[in-house]
Amino acid sequence: MSGEITNVVVEVMPHFEGFVYPNEATHHPLWSVLIVLYPYITGLVAGAFIMASLVRVFNVKALEPVYRLSMLTAFAFLLCAPLPLLFHLGQPFRSYQVMITPHLTSPMAIFGFVYAWYLMAVLLLELWFDYRRDLVEWSKTTSGFKGVLYRLFTVGVTDTSEQSVKLDHKIGHILSIVGIPSAFLLHGYVGFIFGSVKANPWWGNVLMPIIFIMSAMVSGIALCVLNYMILTWIRRRTVDMRCLDVMGMFLFYALVVDAAIEGLDWIHRVYSAEEGFQLMQYMAREKLFYTLNVGQALLGTLVPLLVLGGLQLFRHRVSDLARRRMYFASALLIVIGVLAMRWNVVIGGQLFSKSLRGVMSYKMEFAGMEGWFMAAVVLALPFVILTILVKLFLSEKLPTTGVGSDQPAATPA
Amino acid sequence: MSNPLSRRNVLGRLGALAAGLAALPVVKTAKAAVQKVLVSSNAPKGYDPTKHKWVMAIDINQCIGCGSCVEACKKENKVPEGPYFRTWVERYVIEKPKPGSGEARGQTHVDSPNGGMRGYPELPVAKEDIQHSFFVPKLCNLCHHSPCVQVCPVGATFDAPDGAVLIDPKYCIGCGFCIQACPYGCRFLNPVTKVAEKCTLCYHRITRGLQPACVEVCPTQARIFGDLKNPIPNDPIQEFYAKHRVSALKAHLGTEPRVLYAGADREVQ
Amino acid sequence: MKLTKMPPQVVRLVLLTVGIVGSYMVAKFLLTPASFGQYGFYRGAALMEIASHPISLAGQKACAECHSDEVELLARFEHKTLSCEGCHGFGQAHVDNPDVKMEVLNYSHCVKCHEANPSRPKWHKQINPKEHYPGDKCTECHVPHAPSEVP
Repeated sequence: MSGEITNVVVEVMPHFEGFVYPNEATHHPLWSVLIVLYPYITGLVAGAFIMASLVRVFNVKALEPVYRLSMLTAFAFLLCAPLPLLFHLGQPFRSYQVMITPHLTSPMAIFGFVYAWYLMAVLLLELWFDYRRDLVEWSKTTSGFKGVLYRLFTVGVTDTSEQSVKLDHKIGHILSIVGIPSAFLLHGYVGFIFGSVKANPWWGNVLMPIIFIMSAMVSGIALCVLNYMILTWIRRRTVDMRCLDVMGMFLFYALVVDAAIEGLDWIHRVYSAEEGFQLMQYMAREKLFYTLNVGQALLGTLVPLLVLGGLQLFRHRVSDLARRRMYFASALLIVIGVLAMRWNVVIGGQLFSKSLRGVMSYKMEFAGMEGWFMAAVVLALPFVILTILVKLFLSEKLPTTGVGSDQPAATPA
Repeated sequence: MSNPLSRRNVLGRLGALAAGLAALPVVKTAKAAVQKVLVSSNAPKGYDPTKHKWVMAIDINQCIGCGSCVEACKKENKVPEGPYFRTWVERYVIEKPKPGSGEARGQTHVDSPNGGMRGYPELPVAKEDIQHSFFVPKLCNLCHHSPCVQVCPVGATFDAPDGAVLIDPKYCIGCGFCIQACPYGCRFLNPVTKVAEKCTLCYHRITRGLQPACVEVCPTQARIFGDLKNPIPNDPIQEFYAKHRVSALKAHLGTEPRVLYAGADREVQ
Repeated sequence: MKLTKMPPQVVRLVLLTVGIVGSYMVAKFLLTPASFGQYGFYRGAALMEIASHPISLAGQKACAECHSDEVELLARFEHKTLSCEGCHGFGQAHVDNPDVKMEVLNYSHCVKCHEANPSRPKWHKQINPKEHYPGDKCTECHVPHAPSEVP
């Protein structure tokens, strides 16, 4: 026994400074890059949905060209949202237990229900009511595999009378109203998963759910800006500048609120300087310098804030082309900045010991479940799904009706 | 499909559903019977978890940092090699303040290489610069309000009626939330079984009337173990409570640990 | 209200909802482990499953069944708080089959506890192995089971 254990002493321990609890001295943080992607993807879902509901609930007519695209974006990302969680579980085949015996004191147990509710009762239903009439029409005019698909999606309901379509609109409107608190719930609870961990001073924070919701809205709207611009570029169409300006306006105001709340969080942390504050300072200065100060604060918040804010003031003096470039660049920076923010929360919270006496290091590998490659695959998958969805439901060849029928494909060149 | 919702159709479906529901209790009884047979015959006979309340206490003044407990725990519970510990021993070295600094005490150094299982490296400070130095055994704090149990999404970790905080290795999904929620770093993800693992108070031993492995091998009785529901004559745990003023770790978090420490310095967290 | 009078899309929705919730209830009923909820929100059977792990450390009582003289001797001297297996190694294999020998002891067992260390409490007897008769075996002067006796 003694002989076999002595060689443990020469084992190369992972790099850490100061004292960390022996169980914390592992090579990876327990929740690694996949768990960074999980709140990121869910946030994009919630944000894209809020973007869409601006049209439905708040009747922002200018945004109609991106309504359907936003809904499909939310749907594509929602389908992928549980993947990083699932891949990360030690026992993925037992994941069904979360639904079978949900422990209601655990924020994670609610995930199954919130997710199922959001997917089936909000997104799928609203999409169905939006598309029902079109699906019936398309299933009549399209042949082959696509036609079969459209017929399947009608679920056998072929009634397209005016009365019926009116009802579709009404239900769609109600669903959209229900959808907004649902989107807040979907992402607010993700924030609560972290915010409720009192053992971890980096996470345990009442503002966490609100910060998550606000950054989700910002990232979701930015993603819709990017998707819209990329889609019109691929289809060689012109961008609807009025739509883009309004998106930019909403993006700016969401970003202002987001930056204000995150700023408040930091001011509170610095001012109250509670236990472990020195460690946090060290983290912001050393371990998370590039992702926090450069990625999240400067490039992800400050620069887009200045660019978008400037455009609010001097929109008429900037040419369309320059404005398009500025919107695109700001949206791209925001999408990357929010990813950096998720990284700072998830990884940052695990780079210091709960003994508050030491810090760990994290070097991501390329291969393996927790590596760069896997993360890239998980992040690319929703875009692949979105491409398929756009081909099926935003086709240039098929006529559309109803809310958001003024889609990018229909905008004349 | 002219009208899939004809009354006959609907009635037929409802009938099938009712028949299915009627069969459910039978299935469930059969499942329970199979499960009972499958539970190992190795289990201790006649143990009633509702009739005990186990607890451990730590006397820091007694610990000599030999690491026997850590080694015994690893061996008895087949804990994997590497940074995985159900119990460990930390060394605290508190320096004297620098002359003229106006401070009450100097810097604090803490370490626990390999959980203290194989001893400790040379002291980080010269012997004459030490104000205090001592060893602190750590284990699951058996909290009254266990944050780990609270966050488990499936009910795979729980406060057993007899005071142990246990993990059901067949039900844990390995999400790691409990590990994040434990303020004391007492849990880890077993790299082999891929489920969370922690101190069970040697549940397989205490249910048979034996002491936990760490308590058994501790040469100085720095670890005191007892049953609060069944005090014995000259009960060591009762004597411990009577003799010492005690403290709990990270009391400000409101977890209310049931494992109490005697002689803990403020630096011990 | 007759089902057929409702708008078709609403009927589909109601049926789908009933179907999904119904299959969830059935799945929940079938997949919940039998002993779940016996003591609380967990599998009650887990308690005895965890309790049925095999034992490696036999415990002092098992040692005393055959080696009562040694255990009694130990109890009279300073090492009375030590357990047999703390020094001699885990004994359940030996209890099950006496042909399985216990660990052979060596010098390091003594210094593990008695090497001088400023972190150790002052009441504990400590020596510096480099100064305290280096190279000699501890047992030449000390009887492990009766430390204050001189051999």
